Amino acid sequence: MSNKVIEVDNLVKRYRGAKAPSVKGVSFSVERGEFFAFLGPNGAGKTTTISILTTTLSKTSGEVKIAGFDVERDARRVREKIGIIFQQPSLDPNLSAEENIRFHACLYGMCGYRPTFRSMPAAYRKKVTELAEIVGIEDALSRPVKKLSGGMQRKLEIIRSLIHTPDVLFLDEPTQGLDAVSRRSLWEYIDETRRRYDTTVFLTTHYIDEAENVDKVCIINHGEIAVCASPDRMKRAVHFDPAPKVCLPSLEDAYVEFLKGDKAA
Amino acid sequence: MNEMVLTRNNSRGFRELNSILTVMAREVTLLFKSPSTLIASLAMPIMMMGMVGGNLMQNMTGGLDFDFGGFMLVGMLVNMLFMMVSMNMTSLVEDRETDFNQEMLVSPVSRYSLVIGKILGGTFGAIVSMAGTLVIGLFMGVTLPVGKLLLILALSPLFCLSGGALAMMLIGFIRSKKAANMAVMIITMPQMFLSGAIIPINHTEGVLMVLSRLMPMTYCLDLARAVVNAGTPEYDSIVMFNPVTNFIAIAALTVACLIIGTFFYARADKNR
Repeated sequence: MSNKVIEVDNLVKRYRGAKAPSVKGVSFSVERGEFFAFLGPNGAGKTTTISILTTTLSKTSGEVKIAGFDVERDARRVREKIGIIFQQPSLDPNLSAEENIRFHACLYGMCGYRPTFRSMPAAYRKKVTELAEIVGIEDALSRPVKKLSGGMQRKLEIIRSLIHTPDVLFLDEPTQGLDAVSRRSLWEYIDETRRRYDTTVFLTTHYIDEAENVDKVCIINHGEIAVCASPDRMKRAVHFDPAPKVCLPSLEDAYVEFLKGDKAA
Repeated sequence: MNEMVLTRNNSRGFRELNSILTVMAREVTLLFKSPSTLIASLAMPIMMMGMVGGNLMQNMTGGLDFDFGGFMLVGMLVNMLFMMVSMNMTSLVEDRETDFNQEMLVSPVSRYSLVIGKILGGTFGAIVSMAGTLVIGLFMGVTLPVGKLLLILALSPLFCLSGGALAMMLIGFIRSKKAANMAVMIITMPQMFLSGAIIPINHTEGVLMVLSRLMPMTYCLDLARAVVNAGTPEYDSIVMFNPVTNFIAIAALTVACLIIGTFFYARADKNR
């Protein structure tokens, strides 16, 4: 049985009225439990690809499967399997932090709706309290989202995206606008989640150092996959020279070198 | 010791009903968290029933063979439901602006459940306005028997579903709040006059007659008036259609609007 949890084959997306496709025949796969980074410069096609993978955008052609389900034919089954942290916060600013989590948990069928936190099932209250303590927002659960800082809102989105224990967690630039301390605690928590639930993580980010410990990196440029490899291999053979002479000190160096080479080519 | 584990309920029916209830509860929660919206829901009847209705009562009562006050009160009650539910549907645009829409659209539930939940949630605010209309009517000396009122209240979710579904047809794919507010005006104003909320339309003909027959509120109003005037000598002067015809027309128009509106809503973001 295939262990691939994300399968993308020859994916093409051309926006309505656009002269050229934004994503041009992209193919890659991600194994179950893998930590996968999807990197690329602004406008490379990262968010377009992640939007198609998460069923929020239709594809022009190609085949995309998540956990064995087609993103268009079995969109509802795909949605059951995934959790998402969007590039822009997608919280209701007028609800409290806990009400946002409750809304999400109920839509995902984790529990029947009840009007207050105290009247929700004990398992829900336990999980919310536990997650809030881990990310450090336990005191903010009853506060309106609009009164929370950007970092706290991000942490809240993490709790929300994990409350239904998804098989695949999509993180679209999750640390954008976060301070260093918040970024670190967020990654510690995501690592803990991966270990505990064997969650597959699909990450897009502009902070390349965040992808240093991933299992596989794919770089997309001008809507095409430029390279797919482990970070270690990327650092050793930026252009897949059969006899690499140097090993770059960081993935960020390798990424920049690669994009320079890709631009020159 | 057994660990308390949060597990997913795999019954499709439970999940869809639960999601309708959840979206509905969000709308009600937001109403209570916004005192200005609540005040506007109560103030709207002063303008509609008190000013528009009061003026019409003073100038139109002569020459009619039925009680215009009662006729207008029922019209205002149904009109208020349609108007408030339509206004509430503009919050879909707000959800797009805050990106909360994304959160709803990636959830594993039917888009119809999301839309029906949204409409039924708006029903609560609409009923608050309906209560305000009754209070203003009381001050004006226009009342309805409690039994008839309860019947209208029982029908109000159906009327709201009908009004909300119609609003979805326009608001489903609108992205700007300004355009959404314009759409509400386009939906509510012609209906108020053409469906017979405040002016009888028994003698309307031509294009206006065709338009009035295409509006779900025409049938909602007629059904409400049939309920209120059942067994009275005025019934034939006020009620235009058989209640069964009204019910079938409401159901057909609501289903059609709901399907088209939800289709646009779901596709607007996805098919770019």
